[in-house]
Amino acid sequence: MHSRSATFLACVTACTFLAGLRAALAASALQVTLADVRGAPLAGAVVIAEPSAGAPKSPAGQKAVMDQRNLEFVPDVLVVQTGTAVEFPNSDQVRHQVYSFSEAKNFQLGLYAGRAHEPVVFNRAGLVTLGCNIHDSMVGYIYVTDSPWFGRTGADGAVHLQNLPAGDYTVRIWHPLLDESGPQLSSRVHLAEGAAGSVSVKLTRPLRQAVHHNGADKKWADY
Amino acid sequence: MGRLLISACAAGALAASNLALAYEFDLGVDLRGVAIDATQSRLTGGLGKLRFDGDQDGLRLGYVHAGVRADPTETIRVTAEAYAYGDKDVNAIDLTEAYAEWRQLPSSAWRSRVKLGAFYPEISLENRMHGWRSPYTLSFSAINTWIGEEIRTIGAEYSLDWLGRSHGHDFDFSVSAAGYGWNDTAGTVIGTRGWGLHDRQSMLFGRFANNGSPLPQVTIFADDLDKRAGYYVSAATKYRGLVELRALHYDNRGNLAVKATADGDAIWLTYFDSLGARWTPDEAWTFIAQWLHGRTYADEDVPHNAWSFNSEFLLASFKHGPMRYSARYDRFEMQQTYSSFEYIPILLADDGHAWTLSCSRDFNEHWSVALEGILTDSDVPLRALLGQPMGAREQMLQLAVRYEL
Repeated sequence: MHSRSATFLACVTACTFLAGLRAALAASALQVTLADVRGAPLAGAVVIAEPSAGAPKSPAGQKAVMDQRNLEFVPDVLVVQTGTAVEFPNSDQVRHQVYSFSEAKNFQLGLYAGRAHEPVVFNRAGLVTLGCNIHDSMVGYIYVTDSPWFGRTGADGAVHLQNLPAGDYTVRIWHPLLDESGPQLSSRVHLAEGAAGSVSVKLTRPLRQAVHHNGADKKWADY
Repeated sequence: MGRLLISACAAGALAASNLALAYEFDLGVDLRGVAIDATQSRLTGGLGKLRFDGDQDGLRLGYVHAGVRADPTETIRVTAEAYAYGDKDVNAIDLTEAYAEWRQLPSSAWRSRVKLGAFYPEISLENRMHGWRSPYTLSFSAINTWIGEEIRTIGAEYSLDWLGRSHGHDFDFSVSAAGYGWNDTAGTVIGTRGWGLHDRQSMLFGRFANNGSPLPQVTIFADDLDKRAGYYVSAATKYRGLVELRALHYDNRGNLAVKATADGDAIWLTYFDSLGARWTPDEAWTFIAQWLHGRTYADEDVPHNAWSFNSEFLLASFKHGPMRYSARYDRFEMQQTYSSFEYIPILLADDGHAWTLSCSRDFNEHWSVALEGILTDSDVPLRALLGQPMGAREQMLQLAVRYEL
């Protein structure tokens, strides 16, 4: 009796392990590599893999933080999945008044310091442009997507997305300084079970000039 | 009545700053070592262009500045700025600005703003620090020196902004209109002393001293003698934070039929146009250009006693780590075009230019130093009245040591 139940347990364990292994093997990976118009790695770009079969439902309780430091939004671009609650702490000594009137989210946080406001839930996909009503030069972005598979390219211009189910995907690319539109920003890719896919994109135009406002100083009155 | 209103504004600003839960406070002290070769300063009754008299070499107080910004509600911000200059002022410490600003929380690309109290119209592109100080040079440009001497909005300003950058566009755009009183004497200083180059702002309750010289003293923001509001309208645009352009038309609508007060404060009808551009191509460089052209009248029988005045400057500034290097060239001119003063045998005029070179270093959040050399040549016929040659070359070297809380 003892021996049979041990065999049964071993069997269950093995089956569970194999099922897990099979699922892991079935999941695909995707590497997206971006280059600017000169062929140099493009860092900081948003990459989103949208499954053609439709995105799975967002898990509840996802949280993210968009900080404000030295009169800039940090990070400059935050990518979140639909339904994520984003907190907007103010780490500056001066007070901020964050707002957006983008289609994907229209909200206002009255003048505050520290963590005075409740997190804001972003429940509609799209690009949300953030501003500060006191410091007009502060601009930040929250990219809200239904897909759970997203990332930003590193210094090598690459982002590695893991655990994607096999299937067809549209890979979308966005960067706040992008000066082009066209098919290169939206590629189709098929991921076979357990296989690793890759997409390489080269921009056709130079990025726009980055703007670092030089008023990042609490002693300055105009921003 | 005017004083009462200003006092109420100031008291309100200070009271709000004490009561509100959240406020920001700055306190700054600026001490100067001064080496100067100049005539008597316009600020002490002479016709010198600079902040100090020719015999004021040595250690001087640049300023003590105290500023407070408080937020009594989530959309209203109250600001008060006060200065002490250590000169023979009516009040040892006095307000230069005291106002409340309401900013609508934007729910679309259009945003309304209202300012109420005593504040600067948005003309200067160099006086961008709290307390209307300049990060570039110790001495302001001729245009902004004059704005600091004679111009303040004591009234209300409405602005409508189009927040293009928060709407996916490259431009922000803004139009403003203001009505104000207590600016009847604006024009007296430029019409009698011409242009200056210094960093002393007129205080809301102070006087422009003459120390017994033949030049008129002025209660800069005198009681509203003619009970007629002045106005200005302006437009501004910003391109991605790289370029900012401003235009403004100002008219104090002085009623010249109203007679001077016993103090000698007279109504001057003054209007001017102002244009400005600031270009910040990268983190290191800033270029600023401003132009101002105006006319002023001081007699009921226009065109008797009419003046025209104009000035322009170019400023280039380079920031490298804690160091900032700035250079500015100012051109300025004032000309009385008609005179009915029989006892002044010459027309009032001023024609000159100035070079300003400045270098500053921040040591930490509190301490900084700035070294500035300024050289100005000017022809002022009225100097003959003070027994001086008409033409003068004035120069000054200032080393400022600054502490900010």
